[in-house]
Amino acid sequence: MPRPTHPLLVAVSLAIASSLHAQNAASPDLSDPEVAHVAVTANSIDIDMAKFAQTRTTNGAVKQFAATMITDHTAVNEQAAALAKKLGVTPADNAVSQSLEDGAKQARAALEPLHGKAFDRAYIDREVAYHQAVLDAIDKLLIPTTENADLRQLLTAVRPAVATHLEHAKHLRIELGGTPRASK
Amino acid sequence: MIVWLFLLLGFGRVPQTHTVEIRGMEFHPAALTAAVGDTVVWINRDIVPHTATAKGSAGWDTGSLVASQSGRYVVRHNGVLHYACTFHPTMHGTLTVR
Repeated sequence: MPRPTHPLLVAVSLAIASSLHAQNAASPDLSDPEVAHVAVTANSIDIDMAKFAQTRTTNGAVKQFAATMITDHTAVNEQAAALAKKLGVTPADNAVSQSLEDGAKQARAALEPLHGKAFDRAYIDREVAYHQAVLDAIDKLLIPTTENADLRQLLTAVRPAVATHLEHAKHLRIELGGTPRASK
Repeated sequence: MIVWLFLLLGFGRVPQTHTVEIRGMEFHPAALTAAVGDTVVWINRDIVPHTATAKGSAGWDTGSLVASQSGRYVVRHNGVLHYACTFHPTMHGTLTVR
Protein backbone atom coordinates (compact mmCIF):
# COMPACT_ATOMS: atom_id res chain seq x y z
CA MET A 1 0.00 0.00 0.00
CA PRO A 2 1.50 3.38 -0.94
CA ARG A 3 2.29 5.74 1.94
CA PRO A 4 0.24 8.96 2.22
CA THR A 5 1.96 11.65 0.24
CA HIS A 6 0.09 14.76 1.29
CA PRO A 7 2.18 17.81 0.39
CA LEU A 8 2.21 19.03 4.00
CA LEU A 9 3.46 15.68 5.22
CA VAL A 10 6.14 15.75 2.56
CA ALA A 11 7.08 19.33 3.47
CA VAL A 12 7.39 18.65 7.19
CA SER A 13 9.19 15.36 6.65
CA LEU A 14 11.58 16.96 4.20
CA ALA A 15 12.28 19.80 6.62
CA ILE A 16 13.19 17.40 9.38
CA ALA A 17 14.97 14.97 7.05
CA SER A 18 17.07 17.76 5.55
CA SER A 19 17.83 19.04 9.02
CA LEU A 20 18.86 15.58 10.10
CA HIS A 21 21.05 15.32 7.03
CA ALA A 22 22.56 18.75 7.60
CA GLN A 23 23.21 17.92 11.22
CA ASN A 24 24.71 14.57 10.38
CA ALA A 25 26.92 16.12 7.73
CA ALA A 26 28.13 18.97 9.90
CA SER A 27 27.95 17.44 13.34
CA PRO A 28 26.61 14.08 14.42
CA ASP A 29 24.85 15.46 17.48
CA LEU A 30 22.75 18.34 18.61
CA SER A 31 23.93 19.83 21.85
CA ASP A 32 21.49 19.68 24.75
CA PRO A 33 20.73 23.43 24.51
CA GLU A 34 19.93 22.86 20.81
CA VAL A 35 17.68 19.90 21.60
CA ALA A 36 15.86 22.08 24.12
CA HIS A 37 15.44 24.78 21.48
CA VAL A 38 14.02 22.29 18.96
CA ALA A 39 11.55 21.00 21.54
CA VAL A 40 10.37 24.48 22.52
CA THR A 41 10.13 25.54 18.86
CA ALA A 42 8.11 22.45 17.90
CA ASN A 43 5.65 23.16 20.73
CA SER A 44 5.38 26.85 19.96
CA ILE A 45 4.68 26.19 16.28
CA ASP A 46 1.76 23.94 17.12
CA ILE A 47 0.39 26.41 19.68
CA ASP A 48 0.46 29.20 17.08
CA MET A 49 -1.20 27.00 14.47
CA ALA A 50 -3.92 25.99 16.94
CA LYS A 51 -4.58 29.63 17.84
CA PHE A 52 -4.95 30.40 14.15
CA ALA A 53 -7.29 27.42 13.70
CA GLN A 54 -9.49 28.63 16.55
CA THR A 55 -10.03 31.91 14.74
CA ARG A 56 -10.88 30.15 11.48
CA THR A 57 -12.84 26.96 12.22
CA THR A 58 -16.51 26.71 13.18
CA ASN A 59 -16.35 22.97 13.82
CA GLY A 60 -16.73 22.14 17.54
CA ALA A 61 -14.50 19.06 17.44
CA VAL A 62 -11.76 20.93 15.60
CA LYS A 63 -12.00 23.81 18.09
CA GLN A 64 -11.70 21.32 20.96
CA PHE A 65 -8.69 19.68 19.33
CA ALA A 66 -7.03 23.06 18.85
CA ALA A 67 -7.74 23.95 22.50
CA THR A 68 -6.09 20.71 23.60
CA MET A 69 -3.06 21.47 21.43
CA ILE A 70 -2.70 24.89 23.07
CA THR A 71 -3.11 23.51 26.59
CA ASP A 72 -0.83 20.51 26.16
CA HIS A 73 1.99 22.13 24.24
CA THR A 74 1.93 25.08 26.62
CA ALA A 75 2.23 22.69 29.57
CA VAL A 76 5.18 20.96 27.91
CA ASN A 77 6.93 24.26 27.21
CA GLU A 78 6.41 25.33 30.82
CA GLN A 79 8.10 22.11 31.91
CA ALA A 80 10.90 22.67 29.41
CA ALA A 81 11.41 26.23 30.67
CA ALA A 82 11.48 25.04 34.28
CA LEU A 83 14.02 22.35 33.39
CA ALA A 84 16.21 24.78 31.45
CA LYS A 85 16.18 27.12 34.45
CA LYS A 86 17.03 24.28 36.82
CA LEU A 87 19.91 23.15 34.59
CA GLY A 88 21.08 26.67 33.89
CA VAL A 89 20.72 26.04 30.15
CA THR A 90 19.77 28.62 27.53
CA PRO A 91 18.10 26.96 24.51
CA ALA A 92 20.25 27.52 21.42
CA ASP A 93 18.86 28.17 17.94
CA ASN A 94 20.02 25.70 15.27
CA ALA A 95 19.34 24.33 11.78
CA VAL A 96 16.57 21.96 12.88
CA SER A 97 14.67 24.74 14.65
CA GLN A 98 15.09 26.95 11.59
CA SER A 99 13.74 24.22 9.32
CA LEU A 100 10.75 23.75 11.59
CA GLU A 101 10.08 27.50 11.51
CA ASP A 102 10.33 27.55 7.72
CA GLY A 103 7.99 24.57 7.45
CA ALA A 104 5.51 26.30 9.76
CA LYS A 105 5.48 29.40 7.59
CA GLN A 106 4.78 27.30 4.50
CA ALA A 107 2.01 25.40 6.29
CA ARG A 108 0.42 28.63 7.50
CA ALA A 109 0.56 30.08 3.97
CA ALA A 110 -1.14 26.96 2.59
CA LEU A 111 -3.95 27.21 5.17
CA GLU A 112 -4.44 30.96 4.91
CA PRO A 113 -6.80 31.00 1.89
CA LEU A 114 -8.96 28.12 3.12
CA HIS A 115 -12.30 28.27 4.94
CA GLY A 116 -15.01 25.91 6.18
CA LYS A 117 -14.56 22.18 5.66
CA ALA A 118 -11.62 22.71 3.34
CA PHE A 119 -9.80 24.52 6.14
CA ASP A 120 -10.73 21.92 8.76
CA ARG A 121 -9.49 19.06 6.62
CA ALA A 122 -6.27 20.82 5.64
CA TYR A 123 -5.56 21.87 9.24
CA ILE A 124 -6.11 18.37 10.58
CA ASP A 125 -4.11 16.87 7.68
CA ARG A 126 -1.31 19.18 8.70
CA GLU A 127 -1.62 18.15 12.36
CA VAL A 128 -1.43 14.47 11.37
CA ALA A 129 1.70 15.14 9.30
CA TYR A 130 3.27 17.43 11.89
CA HIS A 131 2.79 15.13 14.85
CA GLN A 132 4.08 12.17 12.85
CA ALA A 133 7.17 14.16 11.88
CA VAL A 134 7.72 15.37 15.46
CA LEU A 135 7.31 11.82 16.74
CA ASP A 136 9.96 10.67 14.27
CA ALA A 137 12.23 13.52 15.34
CA ILE A 138 11.81 12.62 19.03
CA ASP A 139 12.72 9.00 18.32
CA LYS A 140 15.48 9.47 15.76
CA LEU A 141 17.04 12.79 16.67
CA LEU A 142 16.12 14.32 19.99
CA ILE A 143 16.22 11.41 22.45
CA PRO A 144 19.27 9.70 20.87
CA THR A 145 21.34 12.90 20.88
CA THR A 146 20.40 14.14 24.35
CA GLU A 147 23.05 13.64 26.98
CA ASN A 148 21.36 15.18 30.00
CA ALA A 149 19.23 12.60 31.81
CA ASP A 150 16.59 15.12 32.94
CA LEU A 151 16.13 16.46 29.41
CA ARG A 152 15.94 12.93 28.00
CA GLN A 153 13.35 12.08 30.67
CA LEU A 154 11.27 15.10 29.68
CA LEU A 155 11.38 14.10 26.00
CA THR A 156 10.45 10.54 26.92
CA ALA A 157 7.53 11.82 29.01
CA VAL A 158 6.33 14.02 26.17
CA ARG A 159 6.39 11.28 23.54
CA PRO A 160 3.09 9.58 24.56
CA ALA A 161 1.31 12.95 24.39
CA VAL A 162 2.53 13.53 20.85
CA ALA A 163 1.46 10.00 19.88
CA THR A 164 -1.99 10.59 21.43
CA HIS A 165 -2.35 13.88 19.55
CA LEU A 166 -1.50 12.01 16.36
CA GLU A 167 -4.22 9.41 17.00
CA HIS A 168 -6.70 12.12 17.95
CA ALA A 169 -5.97 13.97 14.71
CA LYS A 170 -6.32 10.79 12.65
CA HIS A 171 -9.73 10.05 14.21
CA LEU A 172 -10.81 13.61 13.63
CA ARG A 173 -9.71 13.46 10.02
CA ILE A 174 -11.92 10.41 9.45
CA GLU A 175 -14.86 12.22 11.08
CA LEU A 176 -14.27 15.11 8.73
CA GLY A 177 -14.63 12.81 5.77
CA GLY A 178 -12.23 10.07 4.93
CA THR A 179 -8.56 9.48 5.40
CA PRO A 180 -5.99 12.19 4.65
CA ARG A 181 -5.96 12.63 0.92
CA ALA A 182 -3.00 11.82 -1.22
CA SER A 183 -1.35 14.52 -3.23
CA LYS A 184 -2.06 14.79 -6.92
CA MET B 1 -24.92 -9.30 68.47
CA ILE B 2 -26.47 -6.70 66.17
CA VAL B 3 -23.01 -5.70 64.96
CA TRP B 4 -22.21 -9.30 64.06
CA LEU B 5 -25.54 -9.59 62.26
CA PHE B 6 -24.71 -6.48 60.20
CA LEU B 7 -21.27 -7.84 59.39
CA LEU B 8 -22.71 -11.18 58.31
CA LEU B 9 -25.20 -9.41 56.05
CA GLY B 10 -22.41 -7.34 54.55
CA PHE B 11 -23.55 -3.99 55.92
CA GLY B 12 -20.30 -3.63 57.82
CA ARG B 13 -18.07 -3.50 54.77
CA VAL B 14 -15.59 -0.70 55.12
CA PRO B 15 -15.56 1.51 52.00
CA GLN B 16 -12.29 1.31 50.13
CA THR B 17 -10.28 3.86 48.21
CA HIS B 18 -9.01 2.89 44.77
CA THR B 19 -6.34 4.86 42.96
CA VAL B 20 -6.13 5.20 39.19
CA GLU B 21 -2.89 6.73 37.94
CA ILE B 22 -2.98 8.70 34.73
CA ARG B 23 0.43 8.32 33.11
CA GLY B 24 1.73 7.96 29.62
CA MET B 25 -1.66 9.15 28.33
CA GLU B 26 -3.41 6.08 29.80
CA PHE B 27 -5.48 5.20 32.85
CA HIS B 28 -3.74 2.64 35.11
CA PRO B 29 -5.59 0.40 35.68
CA ALA B 30 -7.84 1.01 32.69
CA ALA B 31 -10.42 -1.39 34.15
CA LEU B 32 -11.26 -1.10 37.84
CA THR B 33 -13.81 -2.95 39.98
CA ALA B 34 -15.30 -1.21 43.02
CA ALA B 35 -18.36 -1.28 45.26
CA VAL B 36 -21.01 1.33 45.99
CA GLY B 37 -19.62 3.61 48.69
CA ASP B 38 -16.01 3.17 47.60
CA THR B 39 -13.96 6.15 46.48
CA VAL B 40 -12.00 6.26 43.25
CA VAL B 41 -9.11 8.71 43.09
CA TRP B 42 -7.54 9.68 39.79
CA ILE B 43 -4.09 11.24 40.03
CA ASN B 44 -2.43 12.83 37.03
CA ARG B 45 1.23 11.83 36.67
CA ASP B 46 1.52 13.33 33.17
CA ILE B 47 2.75 16.77 32.20
CA VAL B 48 -0.44 17.64 30.31
CA PRO B 49 -3.88 18.10 31.93
CA HIS B 50 -6.48 15.32 31.88
CA THR B 51 -9.98 14.58 33.07
CA ALA B 52 -11.80 11.41 34.07
CA THR B 53 -15.29 12.06 32.79
CA ALA B 54 -18.17 9.58 32.82
CA LYS B 55 -19.96 8.82 29.62
CA GLY B 56 -23.75 8.71 29.63
CA SER B 57 -25.77 9.44 32.73
CA ALA B 58 -23.39 8.02 35.36
CA GLY B 59 -22.53 11.61 36.04
CA TRP B 60 -19.09 12.35 37.35
CA ASP B 61 -16.37 14.58 36.03
CA THR B 62 -13.12 15.29 37.80
CA GLY B 63 -12.70 18.46 35.77
CA SER B 64 -9.26 19.42 34.54
CA LEU B 65 -6.47 17.80 36.55
CA VAL B 66 -3.09 19.42 35.98
CA ALA B 67 0.17 17.61 36.67
CA SER B 68 0.19 15.96 40.12
CA GLN B 69 -3.42 16.99 40.81
CA SER B 70 -6.04 14.44 41.79
CA GLY B 71 -9.82 14.15 41.62
CA ARG B 72 -12.21 11.75 43.30
CA TYR B 73 -15.60 10.14 42.89
CA VAL B 74 -17.64 8.32 45.53
CA VAL B 75 -19.28 5.42 43.72
CA ARG B 76 -23.07 5.58 43.80
CA HIS B 77 -24.42 3.31 41.07
CA ASN B 78 -24.06 -0.34 40.13
CA GLY B 79 -23.12 -1.29 36.63
CA VAL B 80 -20.34 -0.96 34.11
CA LEU B 81 -19.45 2.69 33.77
CA HIS B 82 -17.32 3.97 30.94
CA TYR B 83 -15.28 7.12 31.17
CA ALA B 84 -12.78 9.06 29.09
CA CYS B 85 -10.56 12.12 29.11
CA THR B 86 -12.45 14.96 27.48
CA PHE B 87 -9.18 16.50 26.24
CA HIS B 88 -7.89 13.24 24.74
CA PRO B 89 -10.80 11.17 23.42
CA THR B 90 -8.53 8.19 22.70
CA MET B 91 -8.05 7.70 26.48
CA HIS B 92 -10.68 5.36 27.95
CA GLY B 93 -11.37 3.62 31.24
CA THR B 94 -14.00 1.37 32.75
CA LEU B 95 -15.36 1.28 36.28
CA THR B 96 -17.29 -1.87 37.14
CA VAL B 97 -19.44 -1.46 40.26
CA ARG B 98 -20.95 -4.44 42.07
